[in-house]
Amino acid sequence: MAKVSLKRLQKGKTGEKGSRDKFITLLLVVAVYGIVQLLVKTGHVSSLIQGLLVPMCVYSLVAIGLNLCVGFLGELSLGHAGFMCVGAFTGAFVSKVLRDSIGNDLVLFLVALLAGVAMAALFGFLIAIPVLRLKGDYLAIVTLAFGEIIKNIINVLYIAKDSNGYHAAFSDAKSMQLDEESTVWLINGAKGINRIANLSNFTIGIVLILLALIIVYNLVDSRSGRAIMAIRDNRIAAESVGLPITQYKLMTFTLSAAIAGAGGVLYAHNLSTVTATPTNFGYNMSILILVFVVLGGIGSLRGSMIAAVLLTLLPEVLRGMKDYRMLIYSIVLIAMMLFNWAPKSIAFRKQLAAKWKKQKTQEEA
Amino acid sequence: MALLEVHDIGISFGGLRAVDDFQISIEKGQLYGLIGPNGAGKTTVFNILTGVYTPDKGTILLDGQNITGKNTMEINRAGIARTFQNIRLFHLLSVLDNVKIGLHNQMQYSTLTGVLRLPRYYQVEKEMNERAMELLHVFELDDVADYQATNLPYGKQRKLEIARAMATNPKLLLLDEPAAGMNPNETKELMETIHFVREKFDMTILLIEHDMKLVSGICEQLTVLNFGQILCQGKTADVLHDPEVIKAYLGE
Repeated sequence: MAKVSLKRLQKGKTGEKGSRDKFITLLLVVAVYGIVQLLVKTGHVSSLIQGLLVPMCVYSLVAIGLNLCVGFLGELSLGHAGFMCVGAFTGAFVSKVLRDSIGNDLVLFLVALLAGVAMAALFGFLIAIPVLRLKGDYLAIVTLAFGEIIKNIINVLYIAKDSNGYHAAFSDAKSMQLDEESTVWLINGAKGINRIANLSNFTIGIVLILLALIIVYNLVDSRSGRAIMAIRDNRIAAESVGLPITQYKLMTFTLSAAIAGAGGVLYAHNLSTVTATPTNFGYNMSILILVFVVLGGIGSLRGSMIAAVLLTLLPEVLRGMKDYRMLIYSIVLIAMMLFNWAPKSIAFRKQLAAKWKKQKTQEEA
Repeated sequence: MALLEVHDIGISFGGLRAVDDFQISIEKGQLYGLIGPNGAGKTTVFNILTGVYTPDKGTILLDGQNITGKNTMEINRAGIARTFQNIRLFHLLSVLDNVKIGLHNQMQYSTLTGVLRLPRYYQVEKEMNERAMELLHVFELDDVADYQATNLPYGKQRKLEIARAMATNPKLLLLDEPAAGMNPNETKELMETIHFVREKFDMTILLIEHDMKLVSGICEQLTVLNFGQILCQGKTADVLHDPEVIKAYLGE
């Protein structure tokens, strides 16, 4: 009996289903990319939707990052817009400074991406050290505050370059005593960073999503990933089998912040001006990303991407309906919630899947 | 020298002296029972031994190594594994993964190796799967290896917890009320399992139990706790006939 099940296991009954699932998700992303590119080429996509392609990639990325934190680590973060913000500003800053010295757009973007991701990861790491000692609600509150603080700090940060070199100031721009003639603003307080090179595009977005998916999937299905989920499932038991809890929590939170940072870099290079306002990097954005994760299914990366795409698309598509726009949006939210989480809906879907499977085996026989 | 030497440990919670002057000496290969009425401090002793609580006095030596004041993770690595009174499994993970997590410190590769899927990942994962399946086979859980842990029946969950503890390759196994909530048949099966673990792995076991049939059936030595203090210590048969023990715990 042992031999039989070992054999079955080496084929990996659970593993096979799991990895097939992951493969489908990756394939889906590539398929969507292909179809959209085709539709764009043949002129079937309105400019409105075309403008949403990169933001949809951005939100999918950040949702993947947050899902790693909420779904696999089991820690609620309300500050992921903050990490996105750090990534956006670092990335835009770096690409603006280096624009003249690096001619190739793709190389420039990669450098900006690395800088943005590294900075977001650093912030994630620093935040995680004190924060991961907290649990549940407290963690949510501290990360929420972090997101707001980052936004406010960037709003009073001034960095400029003039004939005398670089200047930086906090809250008081006049103290820099700039030579007005030759001033180039890099970060102009609440006005943010302007004239950012338009380096993002749909292809880069999809590549980043695929990369993030592969990293998270591979991590989850490895020794470290099992440890992370063990800590989520039962911290005390995880300690009792000798897992270093803090180390894994730090690592996961940092990676989660880094992925959100990558989303930020992508976001910034899709705009000509990036500012830190409540709507793009505030509390509302953190909540919105959490909505993607929860509606798509905690722990399901595919689900959070679908939710991110649908909920980004919907308000824009419904723009013509003016008054009923938000009403329909909220009905869709409720419908998605019911579909994903209601016990009867889950049972129904399971039944359907079992039926389909049975039919398939009968056909094969 | 005994495998586990505990000298005069004690701990207070507020004004309550939960455990005081507790000492025990367990030889390698022994099956040792810790019994006593509810609230006597048995689980507190386990929690001190596994580093959940730090004793305010006394020393704990495992195989000659002083482990007093170390944290749970360090103590597990030093060689003490445990199960819990209320089962604590990684309930959303598969039965196999639960055991593989127990193997975490035995078979290693870095996080980067896992993410990049280097050859070492496949090699170690294969070894882990084989080792974990061997353990599951011993505990007759191999046919449910791909079930979610939470879907197992109660008796099998208990077994899985023991299997997971054994995967950490301990010198000493602590079982906290393994037969709690089990019917007589399950208890009998559990007795056989414990016996089997001891024979097969040459394991030293300390267990807390209320089921007197199980205790008198498998334990060689007993310590009886009452109000945080040792009431009696010695060979099982002697302890169970001690008038003090009968009065405090067994009932006249």
